[in-house]
Amino acid sequence: MEIIRNFPCLSILLAMFSAIISSALKGKGARWLNTFVIIVVGALSAAALYMTMTTGESYVYVMGHVPAPFGNEIRFGSLEPGVALFFCVIMLLSLNGGRKKLLLEIDPGKENLYYIMVDLLLSSLLALVYTNDLFTAYVFVEINTIAACGLIMITERGRTIEAAARYMIMSLLGSGLFLIGICLLYDMTGHLLMSYIRVSIEDIVASGMYHAPLLVTIALIVVGLAIKSALFPFHAWLPDAYGYSTVSSAAMLSSLVSKGYIFLLIKLIYRVIGFDTFLNSRIINVLFVFGLAGMIMGSISAIRENDIRRMISFSSVAQIGYIYMGFGLGTSAGMVASIFHILSHAATKSLLFVSGVGLTDVSGGHKEFVELTGSGYRNVAAGIAFMVGSLSMVGIPAFSGFISKLLFAQAAVQHNQFAKLLPTLIVLAVSTVLNTIYFMKTVIRIYTPTGGTSYVAPGNARHEDQKYASVSIKENPLYVITLLCFIILNIILGMCSQPITDWITQGLSVFA
Amino acid sequence: MDYILLLPVVFPILAGIILLLKKEYQKRTTLLVSVGIVLLLTGGLAFGGIFLAEEGITAFYLTRTLPIFFKVDTLGGFFAGIVTVVWILAGFFSFEYMKHEKNEKRYYGFYLIIFGILIGLGFAGNLITMYLFYEFMTLASMPLVLHSQTREAVMAGLKYLFFSFAGAYMALFGIYFICHYGATLEFAGKGVIPASVLSEHSTLFLVVTMLMLIGFGVKAGMFPLHAWLPTAHPVAPGPASAALSGVIVKAGVLAVIRVVYQMIGVEFLRGTWVQTVWMTLALITVFMGSLLAFREPVLKKRLAYSTVSQLSYILFGLAVMEPEAMSGALLHAAAHAFIKVALFLCAAAIIYQTGCKRVEELRGIGRGMPVTLWCYTIVSLGLIGIPPASGFVSKWHLAVGALHSGIPVFSWLGPVVLLVSALLTAGYLLPITMQGFFPGEHYDASRFEHKEPSVLMLVPLLILAAMTILIGIMPGILTGALDAFAGWVM
Repeated sequence: MEIIRNFPCLSILLAMFSAIISSALKGKGARWLNTFVIIVVGALSAAALYMTMTTGESYVYVMGHVPAPFGNEIRFGSLEPGVALFFCVIMLLSLNGGRKKLLLEIDPGKENLYYIMVDLLLSSLLALVYTNDLFTAYVFVEINTIAACGLIMITERGRTIEAAARYMIMSLLGSGLFLIGICLLYDMTGHLLMSYIRVSIEDIVASGMYHAPLLVTIALIVVGLAIKSALFPFHAWLPDAYGYSTVSSAAMLSSLVSKGYIFLLIKLIYRVIGFDTFLNSRIINVLFVFGLAGMIMGSISAIRENDIRRMISFSSVAQIGYIYMGFGLGTSAGMVASIFHILSHAATKSLLFVSGVGLTDVSGGHKEFVELTGSGYRNVAAGIAFMVGSLSMVGIPAFSGFISKLLFAQAAVQHNQFAKLLPTLIVLAVSTVLNTIYFMKTVIRIYTPTGGTSYVAPGNARHEDQKYASVSIKENPLYVITLLCFIILNIILGMCSQPITDWITQGLSVFA
Repeated sequence: MDYILLLPVVFPILAGIILLLKKEYQKRTTLLVSVGIVLLLTGGLAFGGIFLAEEGITAFYLTRTLPIFFKVDTLGGFFAGIVTVVWILAGFFSFEYMKHEKNEKRYYGFYLIIFGILIGLGFAGNLITMYLFYEFMTLASMPLVLHSQTREAVMAGLKYLFFSFAGAYMALFGIYFICHYGATLEFAGKGVIPASVLSEHSTLFLVVTMLMLIGFGVKAGMFPLHAWLPTAHPVAPGPASAALSGVIVKAGVLAVIRVVYQMIGVEFLRGTWVQTVWMTLALITVFMGSLLAFREPVLKKRLAYSTVSQLSYILFGLAVMEPEAMSGALLHAAAHAFIKVALFLCAAAIIYQTGCKRVEELRGIGRGMPVTLWCYTIVSLGLIGIPPASGFVSKWHLAVGALHSGIPVFSWLGPVVLLVSALLTAGYLLPITMQGFFPGEHYDASRFEHKEPSVLMLVPLLILAAMTILIGIMPGILTGALDAFAGWVM
């Protein structure tokens, strides 16, 4: 059991070194190395999860030989390895779903570059999840940003370069604010290790000093991470970045990169600022309002969109709004709901991106809804998967989206303030109806046959489309298996949610 | 032993999914025989479940506090029984009717899936299970509305979907509160929320009840969210619109009873503004539905408007909150299910044989299709409420219950509106019979000669017409159990 304590650190280093080695490998080698590393990291995280679940404690791993409060630390309870494992699963599935497409979209010889970026992304995500040191977190936030930019612009087409530039500018603004926040915190407390900062902050709050600077610091950190995770008024970069990049990138960006920042924010709230201090700072109410606004505005933008990829991207804005709304409730039930929604949205959104590309591929590469008519018949697997994803997003029972909505609503109903209870429930209902509008519209569109209403004899009722060719399941088995895994994951989250919420609750209890 | 409750739910759903995934059948007969066997087997299993099961069974846990739980009580068994009878009859009717439609395999696949879902809805033993199947029902019935895949059908399907989901989420809003405050989610006699909580949060619970009423009322076509019904029901293939209009709307009624009577409890609601608003909405719908049906020239649309009106008879009976009115309402639910299915099947048979969709084209139809038109006439009399057909008994109980209730104004206004609406019902249903049999001296009805449909279509019609009469003559076979149920929840 002792050796398992090394696993989180080992997995970060493994991902880092695989990126370095990949630069010397050819595309195929880099691909296999990447797959291998993701699986190994997943296994290591699973082992760490198993250990922390059985003992129910959290562990501190000292990097190097410099003891606290000066050295660098990794700290993990049961929440961190679980999230890491989940990220690995989603990453592997997203990559598998877009492999064929990737080869078509990037220039020959650049494949290893892509996998370097993926390795770096994995290592930075793992570091954000595991680290207990504020400055390390900042460093890996930057690595994450660079890797994400690389993933967006790997195809080097017109719109992707623009999208990457936009993402870069907004992201750097976010990390800049975050950095200023960290500097102020260091200035006030004299520590960089999270647990020590919180002790000093508690003293500062008790003594009543630094009231305004503390508020500004919390605001800077929260806004910085909110920009990076595309909370509503800061989401302008998102639709381009997700809409035009290659499908694996879009799936990973929406389900992993933004979630990594949100996880870091949760960690900062619990472990650095302290939940009570955060609650009393009233910034929580700002997050609540922005979250609610995002839930509505994201969906409205999605309804007005005529491009399936951008529509799915705008839906992310709405879903990120749900997560921040859960923070804004300021209760631990709201936090559990938000963390569950992080998992549920990651599983569903990557499924939607991956199945969406299957649909656009059988429509001549067009992303407009008119061209997608009947694509559900041309690529059966993608059609079914897209439908499952949509149903989950709409919140039909038995899929993961329903459970997140249920958890949010239960958290709201338990809330003692009526001023938060009612808006939450009302906006939840309105946003659900808006989700229904655009997702069901799309599902009906992809199952509307083209070519009029001519009579087809019962013997060959399968509608053969003249305009675009169909894809059979056997042509791309990897893609179909990936979609199947996504669907199973979604249904597991929807049907057996109790162990997962138990795990989140237990993890949060040892998180601070 | 109670595993028998799961069988009629799971079996047709699995059969439907297998049917959808299978390749096209070479022979149409193979498809029909297998669908027929599944329908009959499920029917047997369903009645086995209704009569044999005693305790409930928990299938699995959605979360620790939310089990998916099945149990049959009188109401659930009553609903499942109606569903089973109607579904088998309309299914056999479609064997002939669907000859001239395409995508038959898909139709039967979803038809079987909804069968299982509806039985699950009836057997649901707690609120969350009911909601689960309620949502599934909306989704699985979509393909039936979309079946012809014309632009009209797609728009109607979208309308159906948005109204249904808007309603379902209004209801879900209330379910959250019931989950939080309720002692249990299992359906009980007189409500599950402790009286102290109700009196403490009375405004909240009144608003929640109203929202759930309007939300579940969408499926039952209650004003103000009734507009989807006359659009969505007629575009489906004939037997499917019969099933939609006869049975699926009753799911809304079932849900309303479950929530209002068995979750919140009528003690709390009696005499509140919720009751007044509910009765007002129901009466408006009764009158408006009849009037719109009276003005409607397309037969299937006319029947759909009639559903809007008749469903609010049932809702009014429930809103009065008197045992007699409630058993009258439930009896009317059964009567309306058989009658409306029969009416839609008549319309389908006429469209199948002659292609006539508008009422004025049907002049002289009695010459060529006498049996169909006789069935139509008998069930029409039932809907209007002329003894001995079934509508008379149910409306009698409804009116007597309303008069007994002693609610100011509504105790007499209700029966008056019901009577006026019955006159309108006669006005929109009977002219078809009259002109059908007596087209006038100089009218040439020869184009209808020898158009009587085949046995596969006629037998379900005859059975339904016979059942209408049977319930009218011997309502005792149902009212005993229904009275007991009404006494249990009040």
